[in-house]
Amino acid sequence: MSVSDQPIPLSGRILDIGVRFLPHFVLFAVIIGAWEISVATGLIKSIIIPRPSAIWSAIVELYITEGTIYRHFFITLTEAVVGFAIGAGVAVSLAIASSLWDPFRRYVTPYAVVLNVTPGIALTPVIIAWFGYGMGSKIALAAIISFFPIFVNTLTGLVQVDEDREELFNSLGASNVQVFRKLRAPAALPLMFAGFKIGLTTALIGAVVAEFAQATDGVGVLMSRFSFQLNMAASLATLLSMTVIGLILFYSMEFLDDRIVFWRRESRRAAASRARARTWAAQAKK
Amino acid sequence: MAVQDATSEVLVDTLERSLRNRRIAKHVGIFLTLTLLWELGSRMGWLDPLFYPRPSNIIRSFWLIYFQNANVWFHLYSTISLVIIGWVLGSMLGIGLGALVGFNTVIRRFLKPYVIVLEATPRIAVAPLLIAALGFGVNSKLAIIMLVCFFAPFINTLSGVINVNEERLELFRSMRASKTQILRKLVLPDAIPVIMAGERLALTAALSGALVAEFIQRDKGIGSLILVYTRNLNMASAFACIFTLTIIGFLIFKGMEKLDHYIAYWKYEGGRERMSAKRKRTMVEP
Repeated sequence: MSVSDQPIPLSGRILDIGVRFLPHFVLFAVIIGAWEISVATGLIKSIIIPRPSAIWSAIVELYITEGTIYRHFFITLTEAVVGFAIGAGVAVSLAIASSLWDPFRRYVTPYAVVLNVTPGIALTPVIIAWFGYGMGSKIALAAIISFFPIFVNTLTGLVQVDEDREELFNSLGASNVQVFRKLRAPAALPLMFAGFKIGLTTALIGAVVAEFAQATDGVGVLMSRFSFQLNMAASLATLLSMTVIGLILFYSMEFLDDRIVFWRRESRRAAASRARARTWAAQAKK
Repeated sequence: MAVQDATSEVLVDTLERSLRNRRIAKHVGIFLTLTLLWELGSRMGWLDPLFYPRPSNIIRSFWLIYFQNANVWFHLYSTISLVIIGWVLGSMLGIGLGALVGFNTVIRRFLKPYVIVLEATPRIAVAPLLIAALGFGVNSKLAIIMLVCFFAPFINTLSGVINVNEERLELFRSMRASKTQILRKLVLPDAIPVIMAGERLALTAALSGALVAEFIQRDKGIGSLILVYTRNLNMASAFACIFTLTIIGFLIFKGMEKLDHYIAYWKYEGGRERMSAKRKRTMVEP
């Protein structure tokens, strides 16, 4: 870490990044080269692991020249996001209800535990029978399997607050609404977001698995179609698109986490307090 | 960085508390009422019994698939044996590689980008590819289970090894502990609870992975049984299989808890006393 205030010139920065990442690039190139050669010489059967160059041409075909993948890409992305939104909505509202109302929590808990120990994926055929072959069944499966981690994390965050703080709130005569808004909800947010991140990943898995079982569109269908045609290069290229979806989902949640739970990271906390100071100064001027 | 199980103490606490205080009658009462309502709704024609099976039919299906036809045992055996073998192999691989990477900073630095990419990919999605590469049958199923199992123990072992308490390490070094001593007496005991959390997640994931592999292969195993029953719109039997999986999931949960008590005994109340009493016994009578 450089401590000097002098901004490093751009060319220097690029050089710096280049030097830092050069070994990685070299290693990557060596791996790819070795892989290509071992497939080309027949050391590895190309039907099991295709050549990198074949994967690259499949990527070019799928993403650039034909562009067939984008429709499937957005369908799977939508299924995962909508399923996650439904699952998270139900999970957070149930968690809030059961944190506020003890009997409710007692009677909901056994069912939540039963739902958790059942592998949600086992429901796939049943869900497809219930919701049909379209996007509905994928959304439903994504919602069901993303429900539990979010529910548990939100509930834990809402219930396990620091007792001293709760004591302080009570002794200052805070109302129930104040305790919830200023103590429980902020305490729960970091855990809630951790749950959201797990939930998003599982929602994507749910959408893809439901597509494997029965669907007409989506990257899962594309993947199983290419695999059964033994077109390994294209199915690896499709797998890449799932990685991209996963990365998009994860990093957008990370971004939201950073903005909403701003007090956890020092730099974000400072930025938020600067912004508040500015608005207050502006108000004072008026 | 370590991956944690979502099942929280809050839920288990609530469950135990509510079961202890003679509330079990109320719970059973509510459950029976719900079941009766379901049965009644089905008999009155509000719920289509073709899609939403009656509880009485599910119970009859249990009898059918377990005793009268006794066809479930074969599939259960197929699934469970594969899950256990795949889990042991996959998590061994994960722990081994995690330790290797944890101890070697150079490998760690170079592996990091690949781990990030692998983490974002829904790993179950590789299932069709593996089936195409390895063919139908045991090999590809085992490969899928191993792949799904690999990640949580890998990450958790890695983080357990990296996050060694610096001060203790200093103490060990200053007393000239050998590398094996540091590994056996410091790193491993510190890492084991985290590794066990990863193992528990891996076992659950293994069951899901096996189900997905069976959905695609449709030859044997509880997953293909569910698929076949659902295709035949024999929903009652499909639900009997799903509830079987609930029981298996519960047994996995309890079994891993037992294993955790046995291996990471110092984490639990009374575990340390029990172990030292045992050691004393073995030391007194050599």
